[in-house]
Amino acid sequence: MTNQPTPTSDSIKIERNFVRFTLGQRWEHVVLLLSFLVLLLTGLPQKYFTQWGYRILTTPESVLLVRQIHHIAAIVLILEVLYHLVLGILLLVRRKLSAEIFPTWQDVRDAWQMVKYLLFLTRKKPAYGKYNFEQKFTYWFLFIAIGIMVVTGLILWFPIVWTRFFPGGTVPAAHLTHSNEAIVATIFVIIWHFYHVHLERLNLSIFTGKLNERDMQKYHALEYQRLTGEKVNDNEQSRGEGGKQ
Amino acid sequence: MAKHSTNPGVLLRRSALLAWVGFVLVCGLLALPTRRALAQTSTPAPGNSDYCLTCHGDPNMAPLTLPNGDSVPMYVSGDTVHNSIHGQLDMQCQSCHTNIQSYPHSPISFNSHRELSRSYYQLCERCHSTNYDKTLDSMHATAAAEGKLEAPICTDCHGAHDVQKPNQPRAHISEICGQCHKDIYDQYKNSVHGSALIQENNPDVPVCTDCHGVHNIHDPRTDLFRVQTPELCAGCHSNQQLMDKYNIKANVYDLYKTSWHGVDVSVYKARWPTIWHNSAVCTDCHGVHDIRKTTDSASHVNPANMLATCQKCHAGAGPNWIAAWTGHNEISLQATPYLFYTKVFYEDFAYGVLWLSLIYVVLQIIHATIARIKRSA
Repeated sequence: MTNQPTPTSDSIKIERNFVRFTLGQRWEHVVLLLSFLVLLLTGLPQKYFTQWGYRILTTPESVLLVRQIHHIAAIVLILEVLYHLVLGILLLVRRKLSAEIFPTWQDVRDAWQMVKYLLFLTRKKPAYGKYNFEQKFTYWFLFIAIGIMVVTGLILWFPIVWTRFFPGGTVPAAHLTHSNEAIVATIFVIIWHFYHVHLERLNLSIFTGKLNERDMQKYHALEYQRLTGEKVNDNEQSRGEGGKQ
Repeated sequence: MAKHSTNPGVLLRRSALLAWVGFVLVCGLLALPTRRALAQTSTPAPGNSDYCLTCHGDPNMAPLTLPNGDSVPMYVSGDTVHNSIHGQLDMQCQSCHTNIQSYPHSPISFNSHRELSRSYYQLCERCHSTNYDKTLDSMHATAAAEGKLEAPICTDCHGAHDVQKPNQPRAHISEICGQCHKDIYDQYKNSVHGSALIQENNPDVPVCTDCHGVHNIHDPRTDLFRVQTPELCAGCHSNQQLMDKYNIKANVYDLYKTSWHGVDVSVYKARWPTIWHNSAVCTDCHGVHDIRKTTDSASHVNPANMLATCQKCHAGAGPNWIAAWTGHNEISLQATPYLFYTKVFYEDFAYGVLWLSLIYVVLQIIHATIARIKRSA
């Protein structure tokens, strides 16, 4: 998986980068990000129409326009979700994609260890594989959230078709869910995802596809070890936040 | 004698007596013709209603034929006039028939009976100017301006010689409207409101004018009227005291406002009241003049008829669709289980997860800050 040779000279520091995401995965993230943003921006004024949305949607035509944009972005997101699911399942079945994204008991243990670390009960940070439990939590939280948004959104879009097969009471419930879940997902992205990829450290690997050697050692020690066969110095791990400088 | 006659005291007494007798005689003489006249006259003073009724109170009086062939009855019952609200206030014929001062009358130039009525009714304004001005703002006046002379004028609803308080009994108000709006009145009289009014003289149910206005009755088919309908109904149906009396929920309007229909309508009312919107208002589901109890099998919102009512707007909806309307119910396990569990999920579970996430991130920030302080120290 390494795409750079090991350093051969002391005068030239050659930084090793590790492929973390494929081009397809990086594009998926861009599509997801943009459709999420458009859906949020067109959805919020509808949700808060009576509070402040009416200031933006000043005519009935603008409401219809915003709804159309919302629907188009929703189609983009649904296609992305379908692509993601079909490709993911195909690659998993053909053993061309590692199943590391799936949660394990190790994640629970890591989380517990991390909480203890944050409370200064231990100086040892857990060593992570390709995805740490924070990243898995991001993925699965949004996986479920998007699933809920897609299903409830389709119910609201085609309620008459839906109620041919399902109870009518699910329609107002879908309305409430769609409305709540949007806010929950947005708050989650802001407090959890943004903190971890922007504030804790700037992690642009989902756009560049690569992660440098130091970050790999520091944040994905087990993955680094698996890829290089080199064991990461325990000090690197136990130094915790100090290793940033 | 001389002694007597020259007594000044006696003289004074005698002349006072004479003056008194004379006064009484003069008074009696003066009073005599008046009393005789009162007792004997059959022709009261011109200007008094009874003066007019000497001719017009005769049932055999020939009607007046106008140029277009209309026959205008000239007989007016004295009892009717005297018992009318104006009669009781001692108003005379001339108060309204201002152009007739004496007999013979000055000629009139009306071509038809309607023309005559439309001319005379304008005199109502002299006393009832506020209500008269309101009528000019009504759709009846608009219809008249368009040349529909049958559009009602004051006297069509209130009567002319027989004018009475219109709400004695209250059901009379709706009967008056029913004179022209017969189809609507027939629907109304069988509705929950109309039947209570007519059969029980219920003081709470609306008569026509409670919803449509009294003198300034506007066109109820406009976008504005439609969008204001929920508030109109809420005028009574949000009144807790009144609704308790009939064991009806008083929060129907508040719950409606949170529904899909209600949000749409409130937005249109606030922002675009003159743009038509199809989202249902009260009357779209419950009916307009034919509103019945939901338990009544003829009610549009009776479970048996509900689907057809929904399908008026939601073409192709199946039987499950009915339950998509929460039926003016608050979220509860019994009435709206799906909504109830959704609410529980978000209010307890989802927000719990968000709080945990936030706490974790805050711990990370605290830890990173302390680590940095330690390092620089």
